[in-house]
Amino acid sequence: MLLVLSEEQRAHLGCLPRVGAAGVAELGRLAVELLRRGAAPRACEAAARKLDAGADSVQRGVEGLMYLLVESSKLMISETDFEDSLHVLEFSDELNKLLLQLYLDNRKEIRSILSELAPKLPSYHSLEWRLDVQLASRSLRQQIKPAVTIKLHLNQNEELTSQVLQTDPSTLLHLIQQLEQALGEMKTNHCRRIARNMK
Amino acid sequence: QRFRFCGDLDCPDWVLAEISVLARISSVKLKLLCAQVLRELLGEPIDYEKILKLTSDAKLESGDVKATIAVLDFILSSAAKHSVDGESLCSELQQLGLPKEHATGLCRSYEEKQSSLQDSLRAGSLRLSRLAAVSWRVDYALSSSELQEVGEPLVHLLFRVQRREHGVPEAIPMAVSAEKFRVLLAELKQAQALMKTLL
Repeated sequence: MLLVLSEEQRAHLGCLPRVGAAGVAELGRLAVELLRRGAAPRACEAAARKLDAGADSVQRGVEGLMYLLVESSKLMISETDFEDSLHVLEFSDELNKLLLQLYLDNRKEIRSILSELAPKLPSYHSLEWRLDVQLASRSLRQQIKPAVTIKLHLNQNEELTSQVLQTDPSTLLHLIQQLEQALGEMKTNHCRRIARNMK
Repeated sequence: QRFRFCGDLDCPDWVLAEISVLARISSVKLKLLCAQVLRELLGEPIDYEKILKLTSDAKLESGDVKATIAVLDFILSSAAKHSVDGESLCSELQQLGLPKEHATGLCRSYEEKQSSLQDSLRAGSLRLSRLAAVSWRVDYALSSSELQEVGEPLVHLLFRVQRREHGVPEAIPMAVSAEKFRVLLAELKQAQALMKTLL
């Protein structure tokens, strides 16, 4: 699968041949740092001074490199496809090799960063429960009405939320039965086949 | 095999594994360790330095020290949870491979603090809300725009309800007429009488 670079991106990456091999390595390192930690304008300025190039063009070059790395890692494109995508930029063989190495070296890490960006559903954190028996109310004395109160603690994007639920024992038993059935599904042939194929 | 201190369930594998680590500590030091873990269970901050000193003789790695605290935490709180008496705990721990001296020391520390532990666990049980304070005021309405001589008493009640564990209690104000207040008081007194029969 080939990567399609827009005119703007090609212009951004156009500054790379001018900074030389060491410069490209430096910009590559900067691009990966930015992907790991986020924006760092001072780092770009420092790199611009070191490489004796304009701060703006260095910034755009790094952004172009970031796009190149993220898209390639996202699509997990092969080496040949990566090289073919760079053809349109008409870079030297040496520069192409450098960029390819940069891609291959950082691909795994970039993919793990990208995997954390997917939206997450709230996940289970912990559960508190209590069993109460209602003995009387204003309208009716001499009752026996058991109830289970559950406080479900959920973790959503590092934030703890909680839900309070209340049920009677027979519904709770039904709930337990349903959950055990769900667990039992994992042992059926169908699920086992899929699990085996995913490995 | 089922154990009472595990809630009539099997003993978890990790507990079984850590009991053999406990046997490496001298029984005297184990009793002192229990005292530290009990203090933490009762709400005081844990003195990690002291624990490191007590476990230094047994030459435990840092992971083992944490596991030791975890297993003592589990045994003591689980035994309190299921209201297991000291003797039964002692015999069950010996069945799991803890030497007699160690088990006796542990259970003696447990027995001393069992009721405080249970009180602390009771206080920490799930509770949806708590009445933090009640304040009241009786007013007498002399006159209003509708009627020149009103002559009516009015009770202002302010309930402060703690809904979450931390934070400011929620203020719930209400104004109650004399008639309604009489009914409220009568009903609450009936509820109080019912509660007295249960205490």
